[in-house]
Amino acid sequence: MTAKPVVAEGLVREFGELRAVDGIDLEVEAGEIFGFLGPNGAGKSTTVRMLVTLLRPTAGVARVAGFDVVKEPTAVRRSIGVALQDAAIDPLMTGTELLRLQAILHGLGGKVADQRCGELLERVGLTAAADRRVGTYSGGMRRRLDLALALIHRPVVLFLDEPTTGLDPTSRQAVWEEVRTLNDEGTTVFLTTQYLEEADQLAGRIAIIDGGRIVREGDPGTLKDQVGDPTLRVELSDAVMADTAARVLAGFGDERPARAGRLAIGLRGGAAHLAEVVRALDEQGVAVAHLELDSPSLDDVFADATGRRLEGAEADSA
Amino acid sequence: MTAALDPPRPHLRVVAEQTWALTARATLATARNPANWLPGLIFPLVMAAVYAAQFADATRLPDFPEVDSFLQFILPSAILQGISFNSANAGSDMATDIETGFFDRLISSPVARQSILVGRIGGAAASAAFQSVVLMVVFLLFGAPVKSGLVGAVALVIISVLLGVALAGFGLMVALRTGSPEATQAMFPLIFVAIFVSSAFFPTELMKGWYQQVAQVNPITLIINPTRELVITGWSWADFAQAVTLTILVAVVSLSLSYRAYLARLASS
Repeated sequence: MTAKPVVAEGLVREFGELRAVDGIDLEVEAGEIFGFLGPNGAGKSTTVRMLVTLLRPTAGVARVAGFDVVKEPTAVRRSIGVALQDAAIDPLMTGTELLRLQAILHGLGGKVADQRCGELLERVGLTAAADRRVGTYSGGMRRRLDLALALIHRPVVLFLDEPTTGLDPTSRQAVWEEVRTLNDEGTTVFLTTQYLEEADQLAGRIAIIDGGRIVREGDPGTLKDQVGDPTLRVELSDAVMADTAARVLAGFGDERPARAGRLAIGLRGGAAHLAEVVRALDEQGVAVAHLELDSPSLDDVFADATGRRLEGAEADSA
Repeated sequence: MTAALDPPRPHLRVVAEQTWALTARATLATARNPANWLPGLIFPLVMAAVYAAQFADATRLPDFPEVDSFLQFILPSAILQGISFNSANAGSDMATDIETGFFDRLISSPVARQSILVGRIGGAAASAAFQSVVLMVVFLLFGAPVKSGLVGAVALVIISVLLGVALAGFGLMVALRTGSPEATQAMFPLIFVAIFVSSAFFPTELMKGWYQQVAQVNPITLIINPTRELVITGWSWADFAQAVTLTILVAVVSLSLSYRAYLARLASS
């Protein structure tokens, strides 16, 4: 497979007057987990729907697994696994029935289908619940079944749209584990999420989308570094030494606002210089009670790019 | 798990499997949800019981066809009523799939496009067959047999299946155009009105004025009358042929409409 799993050039989608996706370029490398991060209504789902052939682009080109999403939709559909957040599972059917149906939809028949269904049920831990109707499943179980459905034909690229929205922390961890395992086995994953932590935990590379445009792209570490120096906060054992400490710290970065009895600087060069700071303070006889280094978070990256915060932002339905 | 596409299998066989699987799903959904099939049995039976009691003596009116009982007279109408319930369900189930996103799940797979529509129609056909058999048995137990015997009963099942398909076509059209289960259910009373302005519950010969004129050209009358002949008089190839031909004509119209709506929905995405 030489073609890149996902390539988009100048992708645009308009809904009447609204330009939901406003010229997006994307390249996803084989074998990576690509995190597509943005608030509700930013254009994430619209982009994914175009990539999985559910929506026609107004302009631009997209190729998935080497196939054009408009000209070769069937070849694209054969190559991808899709778990969309807003695509419900029929509650009247059992897990096994749904998996079998999905296998048939992908042109798998007879023994292959049976074998694959059994493997996947075991893989996502639903063997015991396989013959129960999906209506009786918990949210976490549904999401795991959804994942199994997307994997029935061993897709080249797996599209996961908000895979853990609404899940409790334990179920979320289980889904993350499964996504990591899949990725280790070679599946390329295109993950959309509004959770910073999820992107941080899973994605090797992320793109931040806001207002239909990509505002940042890169690996999370580099993006955070680009935002600026981490904040070093120092709490002294003895307030008498405050002036000395301030003088020492001034040599490592600019002062930042801190609570009373503490000092804070933007540590130039980041964590690598932490040891030097501690040594210098020690040489001047400053006793430190508490010391912490706050790296910029993806939320800081988002704020830097858009001037807004993503975390705690109101979750309005897109 | 390495990313490997499974080898392609013969296309026709795959399409057949997909269509069958989606038909099975539609049928299963109806069977597992009593709210889907129970009204289609209870309502026609209650109506039949009320009418049979109310109009028991109407059969002695001049111009009323020769029948054993009023109950026997309205057997085809009861089946038609039951089927109209079910066919509305075929539409609203499709609309529900669209609303919940299951439809997206289906079309984001490489499934043959026609299978999705044909599967729903197949589901409607299966429940129409079930409904007609159950109603005929119940009517038989209450002393209203099909005069043309087993052959006639089989003919009635065939006509019922075609009717189920024809009516499902209208429901599917509304479902695919609107994507709304409520809108699809809302067209159900229209079918009911059409049934009432027909010979379904009374012979057109005994009607008057505009009502009679409308009822006489109502396709439902033209389908019900020959079907009723099979029930109250006896076997006739001509009656069977008329009922089947007219039902197929209606089905061609409704299925064309729903197919166009389906293509429009696929293209609008």
